Formats: sequence, structure tokens, C-alpha cells
Amino acid sequence: MRKLLIIASIAIFIAFFLYVAINPGDFGKPAGRHLVFGYPKYTDMDDYFITHGQIFSAANNIVTSIVFDFRGYDTLGEATVLFAAVMGIASVLRKLRRDEE
Amino acid sequence: MIAEEVMQFLVLASLIITAYLSIKFKDLIACAISLGIFSFLLSLEYYILQAPDVAIAEAGIGAGLTTAIFILAIRGTERREVEE
Amino acid sequence: MKMSKIVRTQSGFLYPFILIFGLYIVIHGHLTPGGGFQGGAVIATGFALVVVAYEYKDVRKWITANRLSLAEVTGLLAFIITAYLGLGSTFFRNWLANSGSIFGSRVPPGINPGNLNTGGVLPVMNLAVGLEVLGGLGVIIVYMLNYLKRGEESAG
Repeated sequence: MRKLLIIASIAIFIAFFLYVAINPGDFGKPAGRHLVFGYPKYTDMDDYFITHGQIFSAANNIVTSIVFDFRGYDTLGEATVLFAAVMGIASVLRKLRRDEE
Repeated sequence: MIAEEVMQFLVLASLIITAYLSIKFKDLIACAISLGIFSFLLSLEYYILQAPDVAIAEAGIGAGLTTAIFILAIRGTERREVEE
Repeated sequence: MKMSKIVRTQSGFLYPFILIFGLYIVIHGHLTPGGGFQGGAVIATGFALVVVAYEYKDVRKWITANRLSLAEVTGLLAFIITAYLGLGSTFFRNWLANSGSIFGSRVPPGINPGNLNTGGVLPVMNLAVGLEVLGGLGVIIVYMLNYLKRGEESAG
């Protein structure tokens, strides 16, 4: 019974991903209707970033201008998360060293 | 167009094979190398799907750093997986 | 534990190119795909290659945990200070763009080959985040290696 459940769930998973791989949607076209994840019905923010990003932040790479300029708070949080992870690892490994000495 | 789809299917099939191998091997260094190949193929797949930023991040962190960290961790512990 | 001579020779030949490639990704972050996070990860990969291939006592002179954590703290502080300097209008304001000073050239609209002297605060933030990521990921590897070395000493 348990093995059957596992096999069934894996089969559903593989079938879903094969369906997505066979119908990958219209990349590059605006508001692709065949994309499985999320219908981009409202594209006001996208259009705003694409038309104004090059002028406002004076950079050719719109991804970077979104990451560091329009959505700077996200990058700040990401940097803080990395700092916290390093701090945790440093505290764990340092405590062991102090115990040995 | 056909070549792109054939390439994509090859990469996806290799992804499944390397993911299976990385849990099947008993030698843990072989597992780490297989996981590195998995990350590299995943970054290739991201590149085919036109996301070069994510591809660079995946190639740098997944294929480079985590393999090194796994190898360091295996150095500190056992190399062979033991049967329970 | 030492890697074989093939691995050591090849990593010694390869790591300058990896460092230069990472620096290229960081500096051209506002023109080509990539940026601070990806470039810092590539540079840290170069450090990890050297540290894994050689023994740690060979590279202890110039890859130290203190220097790497100093780089991390400097990068994070530079990032936050650059964000604060835009407080004339808002936090994270791009106060250098189109100003005519350093990194302040005007960019023509549409498809163009790109100029390194554009982007406003984006190159500064790319450099800061690259420094931070390189220091953070390097410090993890160095701490793990330190712990590993102590275990080998106590065991053997």
C-alpha cells in the first residue's frame, strides 16, 4: 500500500513535469496564455519597469536595475540573510574550538 | 527549433539520471560529484530557458561551492556509506 | 590529506582565470547578465578550489578568516551606506544616475552597446555585494577547514 502510494505520487509528479516540458509556453511574447504557472493578466508593473528602467537607473541590464534600484529592499534582506548564516556557522564552529582549548 | 527541444529533453533526462545516481552511489565522493553534474545541467537548463542570471548563480554556487563544501565534509567523516 | 599532483597543478593554473572572470562579472553587472551575488560566488569558488586542492597551511598566509570577514563586513556596510546616501529623497534612491559625475553618464534609450561609466549607484552596490558574498562564502569554507584540521590533529 505504501509503495503503491509512493509510485503513484512519483508518476503524477513526472507526468506533470513532462506536461510542462512539452508545453513550455510562449517565452518572449507578452502575456503568454499557455504558461502553466500564473497568467500574467496584469502587466502594468512589468511595462513600467521595461519602459522606464533604462532611463531612471541609466543601466542597460534591466534585471540589475530592478534588483538594486527598484527592489533594493529585497537585496538588503538577502545580504542580511547571508550575514546571519555566516554568523551562525562562525558561532557554532568557534564554540567547539574554545572547548578544545 | 527541433534542435532546441531535443537538447532540452536530453538535459532533462540527464538531470533525472544524475539525481538518481547521486542517491544510489555508496561512495560519497561520487555522490558529491554527481550532485555537481546535476547542478551544472540545471544551470544549462536555466540558460536554455533564457535566464542567464540564475544560470550563473546556479553554476557558481551549486556546481562549485556546494561540491567543495561536500568534499570538505566528507574529508572530515567517513567516505563510504555504511549499511545499517 | 593532500590531493594528487594533477589536481594541484591544474587548480594552480586555473584559479587566476576564475578570479578574473568573477571580477568581470561583478564590474559589468549593470551591462551584462550577472551581478554582485553571482560574481562574488564565482570568486569564492576560485578560493574554494585553491583551498580544497592544496593543504591549508600553504594558503594560510593570504586566505585568512579575519581578512574574509573584514571583506564581508566592509561590503555590507558599504551597501547600506550607499543606500542611506540617497536619503535626500528616499531610501535606495539612485542618486548618481544621470548626474554627470562618476558612473553618471547618460545612456541612450533603446538598444546600444553599453558604456561602463553608466548606472549610477548600481556598480557601487555591485562591488559592495560582491565583496560581501565573497567574504561570506569564503569564511564558511575557511571555518569548516579549520574545524577539520583540528579534528585531524586530535585524532592523529
